[in-house]
Amino acid sequence: MTDEYLDRLVRDADPYRPEVIGRLDGAEQALLEEIMSVPTLTSVVEPPPPRRHVLARRLAVAATAAAVLTGVLTVSTVLRDHPQAQPATPTPTATATPFVYSAAAALKAAEDNPRLLIDETGWKVKTVYGFAQESGTISFTDGARELEMTWYPGDEYGGYYNDRLGVSKPEPAKVDGWPGDVFTYNDHDFAVMLRPRDDVFVEMRTGQRWTRAQFDQVLADIVQVDANKWLAALPPEIVTPGRVNEEAAKVLADVPLPPNFDPTDFGNIGTNDYYQFGATVVGRVGCAWINEWLRAKKAGDDAAVQQAASALQSSHQWKVLQKMNADGDYPEVFWEYADKIAAGDEPHGWAEGLGCPE
Amino acid sequence: MSSGTDDDEDRFRRAYAGNFAPLLAYALRRAQPEDAADVVAETFLVAWRRRHEMPAAEETRLWLYGVARRVLANQNRGGVRRERLGERLRQQVTAVVATELGGPDPGNEVPERLAVRAAFARLGELDREVLMLTVWEGLEPREAAAVLQVSPEAVRTRLSRARARMRDLIGNDPALPGHVLDVLTASTPKEGR
Repeated sequence: MTDEYLDRLVRDADPYRPEVIGRLDGAEQALLEEIMSVPTLTSVVEPPPPRRHVLARRLAVAATAAAVLTGVLTVSTVLRDHPQAQPATPTPTATATPFVYSAAAALKAAEDNPRLLIDETGWKVKTVYGFAQESGTISFTDGARELEMTWYPGDEYGGYYNDRLGVSKPEPAKVDGWPGDVFTYNDHDFAVMLRPRDDVFVEMRTGQRWTRAQFDQVLADIVQVDANKWLAALPPEIVTPGRVNEEAAKVLADVPLPPNFDPTDFGNIGTNDYYQFGATVVGRVGCAWINEWLRAKKAGDDAAVQQAASALQSSHQWKVLQKMNADGDYPEVFWEYADKIAAGDEPHGWAEGLGCPE
Repeated sequence: MSSGTDDDEDRFRRAYAGNFAPLLAYALRRAQPEDAADVVAETFLVAWRRRHEMPAAEETRLWLYGVARRVLANQNRGGVRRERLGERLRQQVTAVVATELGGPDPGNEVPERLAVRAAFARLGELDREVLMLTVWEGLEPREAAAVLQVSPEAVRTRLSRARARMRDLIGNDPALPGHVLDVLTASTPKEGR
């Protein structure tokens, strides 16, 4: 069953009947007037402020190609093996050690995030996301439990803190000397919110079943490190901004490029694991080829139509997609579109599915 | 020139007019009709009281969904309603949904819908909410992430997992028997994620 078919089933099961709106007989207007006559001094349930930065962030991969990330990446071992900060020297080759990063952008981005790591054997990084953004997430796992750290701009702290007061009474805590508050969702689910420092605050939330003692122990094992050490602790599968072009070149080694496609112009696409990085890079190629196919078709340029269709169909052999196929559905989506094009049809929703730039 | 207060009020009226229908839909998808009307009333009451903080344009609806989610969670926890607004709306919605439109009686539903809703009830709360926001409210992952206060990455992962779980539960034949009573209000949402 495809995602499209499943979504259709779910859509068909929607219990909402739009006709209800037309039969309210003015009740909605009466409610509006009631509400607007209420004094506005009392505080009621409210959410934290919206995360504008999240809305502004373009998705690297669209929903239909949502990643199922199974890769687990080692951090603590790296951290322990390389206790000294690494100099930011140029990366000589594409196969250079992952402990050396070249770009000033990578260092700057690292400096701007809280750079917290669980310095305890067995804990590994599972996901890094939004590394170069003003907000981001890094999640850790020890195989049984997860801890997700999300950082936000410091000026949003108040809204989040007020919201969490509705979860539980805050309990003071410190993480590597950084003061914060623990909130208890239930006996197995906890969070700690660190107060703003250097224009950033951090919220850590448990995943799976934890005990409070386990949570406190892991909090005690969290350390803040400098930018070089933080970058060094990221496993080589993570593509930092300074390595985008060289990694893109590897991804595109066996991929035919569309006319006028610049394989060095990916901008700052942040830090991604191989799957997300591959989807971003190969997605842009796919978008450009489909646009070229549409252009050529409209212009009656049969040779160009054929060239674009052939290029897309060759995607079944692209190494990047074959490698990604074990970890998620993006390649399947890509190939489905490619096959549609090869058959002469424009696939529905391809731009969203591939995560094409707006 | 209008005053700041007038601007705020006009803005609230526009937000109300533009979002009443989607908010009612949101609530009716997740609660019984009488409770849904309360959720809508309290959500807009929050918005009225916080109208100077209400984000503009396309973010308004996401913000309202976030409020409604918390109001609903509070309601499911047995939270005491602090206001009793919208009595007329409550009566009207209840009457229209329960009688004229046939209500949520499973007997009025086709088997495929029942099977899907039964499967829905077996998803984890956040997985189910991600799927609902995506398919029923038509939100993009980044928008659902804003509503749920999680990362877009988490939404994509949850969505993928929810779909996989639904496939497992429904199988290739969606017309499977299933228990569907109260599936839309069966569980208590877990806040904050």
